[in-house]
Amino acid sequence: MVSDRSERLKLNVGGEIFETTASTIQSTCPDSLLAALSAPTSHGSNPVFIDRDPEIFSVILNLLRTGRLPANSSGAFSKQELLDEALYYGVESLLRSAMLPPPLQGFDASLVSTVSPATDGVPSAFTANAGDASLWIAHGGQISVYDWSLSHAVTVRTHLTDVTSICRVWAEAAAIGSGSASGLHFYDLSSGRYVGSTHWTDPEDPRIHKSRVAAVADSPGGVFASFDCLHRENSVLQIDKSTLQVAAVIGQQSGSSAKTAVPEKLRWVGDNGLLVGSAVQRGVFGCSGYIRIWDPRSRTIVWETSEPGSGRSSRFGDALADVDVDGSTLFKVCSKSGDLGMADLRKLGEDPWVYVSDENPGAWSADEGDRSGGYSVVHCYRKQVLAARGGALEVWSSVEGKASGDVIRRRNFVDKEEDSKRGMISKIEAGGDRLFVSREYVEGVEVWESSNSSSMIEL
Amino acid sequence: MNTPATANESNIVSINVGGRIFQTTKQTLTLAGTDSPLSKLATESSTRFLDRDPALFSVLLYILRTGNLPARSTSDVRDLIEESRHYGIEPFLIDSLSNPSQFEAFDLRKSRVLRLNGRDSPSTIAPTGGGGLHVAHGSKITSFDWSLRRKSTVLTNFSAVDSLLEISPGVLAAGATDFPGLQIIDLESGGSVQTALNWENVASSTVQAVGSSSEFLFASFESSRRNSNSVMVYDLSTLLPVLELDRGSDSSAIPSTKLRWIGSCNLLMVSGSHASPSGVSGHVRFWDVRSRNMVCEINEREDCFADVTVSENLSAVFKVGVSSGEVFYTDLRGLGGGKEGDRWVCLGEERKRSLNERKGVGCKIESYGDHVFCSKGDGIELWSEVITGLVGNARRDVLEERVFRKNSFVAGSGENKVTGLVFGGSRMFVTRKDQQAVEVWQSSSRGVSM
Repeated sequence: MVSDRSERLKLNVGGEIFETTASTIQSTCPDSLLAALSAPTSHGSNPVFIDRDPEIFSVILNLLRTGRLPANSSGAFSKQELLDEALYYGVESLLRSAMLPPPLQGFDASLVSTVSPATDGVPSAFTANAGDASLWIAHGGQISVYDWSLSHAVTVRTHLTDVTSICRVWAEAAAIGSGSASGLHFYDLSSGRYVGSTHWTDPEDPRIHKSRVAAVADSPGGVFASFDCLHRENSVLQIDKSTLQVAAVIGQQSGSSAKTAVPEKLRWVGDNGLLVGSAVQRGVFGCSGYIRIWDPRSRTIVWETSEPGSGRSSRFGDALADVDVDGSTLFKVCSKSGDLGMADLRKLGEDPWVYVSDENPGAWSADEGDRSGGYSVVHCYRKQVLAARGGALEVWSSVEGKASGDVIRRRNFVDKEEDSKRGMISKIEAGGDRLFVSREYVEGVEVWESSNSSSMIEL
Repeated sequence: MNTPATANESNIVSINVGGRIFQTTKQTLTLAGTDSPLSKLATESSTRFLDRDPALFSVLLYILRTGNLPARSTSDVRDLIEESRHYGIEPFLIDSLSNPSQFEAFDLRKSRVLRLNGRDSPSTIAPTGGGGLHVAHGSKITSFDWSLRRKSTVLTNFSAVDSLLEISPGVLAAGATDFPGLQIIDLESGGSVQTALNWENVASSTVQAVGSSSEFLFASFESSRRNSNSVMVYDLSTLLPVLELDRGSDSSAIPSTKLRWIGSCNLLMVSGSHASPSGVSGHVRFWDVRSRNMVCEINEREDCFADVTVSENLSAVFKVGVSSGEVFYTDLRGLGGGKEGDRWVCLGEERKRSLNERKGVGCKIESYGDHVFCSKGDGIELWSEVITGLVGNARRDVLEERVFRKNSFVAGSGENKVTGLVFGGSRMFVTRKDQQAVEVWQSSSRGVSM
């Protein structure tokens, strides 16, 4: 850090002289306002004068020097002040990487905040975007957008009275469906404009009209949405993103039994070009449901399973609770035991499941699972599997075995007992190293993060 | 720490840090050590400019000058740590905030509580070199650095860790009574297992205790069939087995659950106990590692220890009796001779013992500095020696006549039972049953601005 004189640079910010080097500024944010001001031609012998607050500039300058935000800056300045100032100097990308949480470790996460929309605060659906770490919450017919810093960016009022599924289809566009109105609708959230709608109708089949959307998934080749008619006839449609027209009807079925009910969850597996759909019905006697995998190009079913079913895969009274995909591995959680079932999407056969259980003595007992009505929601994020049982949140993490390189999976609680009393978990989704959790009839979306700072109570 | 500068002009150094001018002496800068960029400034003749934050530099310069953290400092200690690392002077900062010499046994207060994520209570805790702490809870190990402000958590292969020891900064030895092998875990690489040490003779043996000296790592193993046990000695740097001590190979052999190195005598203290319907029995053995000889053995039949520790400063072994719940000591120098029966000297009011009583079950005893700490239920007792001065230091040589007195921290305040007690830097760490947190006790006059 000892630099020669020629590189040195003086800045007069609001009357206070700061001295730094051109390389500090040029190397971190070459296109910023600061970099332009520090170019050799732009100043003579006098320091460049910037008419801004010097105290907040010292925070920005330290960010440029170290890549970190001073630990006490959040106490001295509000998040918005820092953002505004970083925007002024053109260093918001650096501020963003300094403010985003460290990699999410489910076994070491804590509740940091709750994002609550101002009106109709109970979320009916939400989606977290890994790319820009933003959060879109659907609540009472509105969609609220929160940016990477979880600051409220905009709220868009839609024509729907409730939005029960939401999916990001372009950077700023959402595909939304409602449980009380037909069709899949597209909104541009940056302008707040309605873009268009897609309906599933069949002129030759009068039963197919007023079909409602149950699940949406995005893929480069189009949007997939599962539609459910009033007569329970259902299907997955592939919708062209540019024309918003139906490109293909995949897997139409009658909906007369649990095995043919509408898929409530759709997952696009980019690596394999496959679409995974699942539906689970919860009743007094446990869960019953199916997993079905389609190849959208041939519109055929590649593989399917239903539980409880016959064959070795059925575990008595312990059917699947929910399914998710990570990479090319299919994960399911058993409704009663909470055991984790894994299947390789490339090697699916009659019984592809490998089951893992973990008797973490401090964490869990099977009786509890029985009483609370079993597991319900599963979400995968970066090789971690998050599972909800009632109001409790658990995570399966893998740890490398000792010499042989085998992988041991361990189950841990993410939350504390008092957290689980806030209500049944209705949805889990992670994005941008944050874990978002919504609970039934509870306002707001909880934000869980891992942290390098200890949580300490001073006495 | 430094002598006042003489009027020698060339000795004074001006440094421009981020636009602010500081003046100090070359001596102060060279204190930072040869690897530090600050000591390079002392030798450099050209303009001295550092592109760093001046406010943080001013605090660090104060520490270099005086050895203390300025009370006026408003900087967050996390920023100071990062900045001191940049200048290579973190040890000065650690010394100013968590020096073992600042440990004041009589002035300990519960000053903060470190909360753990998840639902597991700590199973064992181990101090770090600089006053931080490793906490094993469930299958996880959370490590707090010396400032206790920053933490990291790794996942292990164990479902619960029962023995934990830091063998070098960032490297842990961890074992469990229900999982084979002693694992050497590297925290820097996110908790990957460097190597797993096993008892050579019996594969898949579990770990009952770990300990270390400056040269050796000790591990007490028990075979999975629980019919034999042994203490293995490894070279601390290569982790290769050196020798095997204290082998018990019949079913009545009791595995050792505590290993303590006594540096001043070059002895390893090994202790284990076993509860049966006829009572609790156990052993405390002292091994000379170099000659592989057992120097002394104390067999415990009546009022066997619930826990035992050794204090080198007090040159004595302390135990808490499982029946009486009283603290006893025996002088290290008297180990070789004396009769078995009257070896222990009771420090409390030695009431008539009943073998049926179990007052001392679960009590922990640890020594730190010149003091011995013993947990009883939810309370902690502090035992310290009073030098009466009647015969001066000569009195120390008269065995059986040492005077120890007791102080008590919190008793009967309705808190949960103490399950763990360790010491590091200027702090005492306490864990309690069913609490997903660690209590930090320290003197109130220190760590003001932390």
